[in-house]
Amino acid sequence: MRKNGVNMIKISAKNVDVFYGKKQALFNINLDIEENQVTALIGPSGCGKSTFLRCLNRMNDVIDICKVQGEIVINDFNINDKGCDVVRLREKIGMVFQKPNPFPKTLYENISYGPTIHGMAQSKQEMDEIVETSLKKAALWEEVKDRLHEPGTGLSGGQQQRLCIARAISVQPEVILMDEPCSALDPIATAQIEELIDELKKEHTIIIVTHSMAQAARVSQRTGFFHLGELIEHGSTDKIFKNPDNTKTQDYITGRFG
Amino acid sequence: MSEAPHTVKSYEEELKNLNSNIIKMGGFCEEALGKAIQAITTRNSDHAESVIKDDEKIDKFETLIEQQVVNLIALRQPMAIDLRETVTALKISSDLERIGDLAKNISKRTLLLNENLPKNLVDALVRVSSNVQKQLKSILDAYLDRSSSMAMNVWESDEKIDDLTNLCMQEVIKYLKENEKNLDDGTHLLFVTKNIERIGDHTTNVAEQVYYLVTGEYLEGDRPKGTEPIVTGEK
Repeated sequence: MRKNGVNMIKISAKNVDVFYGKKQALFNINLDIEENQVTALIGPSGCGKSTFLRCLNRMNDVIDICKVQGEIVINDFNINDKGCDVVRLREKIGMVFQKPNPFPKTLYENISYGPTIHGMAQSKQEMDEIVETSLKKAALWEEVKDRLHEPGTGLSGGQQQRLCIARAISVQPEVILMDEPCSALDPIATAQIEELIDELKKEHTIIIVTHSMAQAARVSQRTGFFHLGELIEHGSTDKIFKNPDNTKTQDYITGRFG
Repeated sequence: MSEAPHTVKSYEEELKNLNSNIIKMGGFCEEALGKAIQAITTRNSDHAESVIKDDEKIDKFETLIEQQVVNLIALRQPMAIDLRETVTALKISSDLERIGDLAKNISKRTLLLNENLPKNLVDALVRVSSNVQKQLKSILDAYLDRSSSMAMNVWESDEKIDDLTNLCMQEVIKYLKENEKNLDDGTHLLFVTKNIERIGDHTTNVAEQVYYLVTGEYLEGDRPKGTEPIVTGEK
């Protein structure tokens, strides 16, 4: 959504600190994520980019020693508030992981699982429609429409990852988080996922963590560079890759690090 | 180049190599222009012939640089400062190649000129060419030092070259009008003057590239321009 030529802010992180026990993993992160754009988070291993991503749907809750401070505002609501319903939150904010992780169930059940627990379909017919639409949006329908009742784990890696994306979008999330979604895929499957990301941004806001600088440059409109738990620089992707302001950013993207 | 070296040494080497080829190519262009001007002002045919012969070297550098740039883009996918290094090297090399061609053209015409040219014409030529030579040297230094302010200076001083070119043109036109026998030499001298001015334009192009290389920004606005060129129809 654009208003007066400016993209609306979908997520606003304000003064976010994250600790694992005594160790601080993120330092005062302030970042606005624009709606219907792809934001890439880049940085060396251990820089905190995945930790930040996991803050956005409170995935860090499952780690006992992890403590998140600061505000993460989505739709004018601070998700770190006590009153936040985490199940609803994760309905709105889906996630796709590095390794494709379909449920050990049929293709159909993989997709219908989320809509079932969120009570999104009133009839078998409605559920069929959700499954079909989700698979179509994930560009997988044509390949699997005749084998919906076979196990999801029987697909190729790239197909499994698209199945996971279909599963994520089946509950119509507003935001999709992707943590290195292509690192286990071959270049063709990677290109299919990248094409998919481009399509999905029309209806969703996407945040992708990637180690591939070329991928960040190809798929995103905004890029944030993390280093040692700090957000060093963020801005439009073409600015970051052509003429970054910060020397650390430049050293990282040009391979002069360390 | 940025102070910190690349983690991959061979990549670092390739960029350094590209950079040093531009500097070498620029050096050859400086030499060609210097010799071409000397040839015409001191009537030295040996110099003129060596400029014509050595242009091949400059052309070969252009091909080499183009290949290096294509390889860098295909195999290294340069980003940020490296990307600007790569892209500007390609553009600068093509301006330098043109400078080489123009110096060669000046030398070819030199060989066709009569032994004795009027002193006022030679002086006028020297005034333009010494400025252009200075520009070329400055912009190569600016490239070497990664200096955007030096590049900006070169860019701004193109105006002066345009003005000196016009003055020189006026002298040549006067010379042409004096006597029909001056037609051959005068025509060559008009082209020589124009070629020198074109070399100035190419150094201005290089200045824009150096500025972009260093700052990541484009030099904006119209180029500084001297007075409108004098056309031959004037009284």
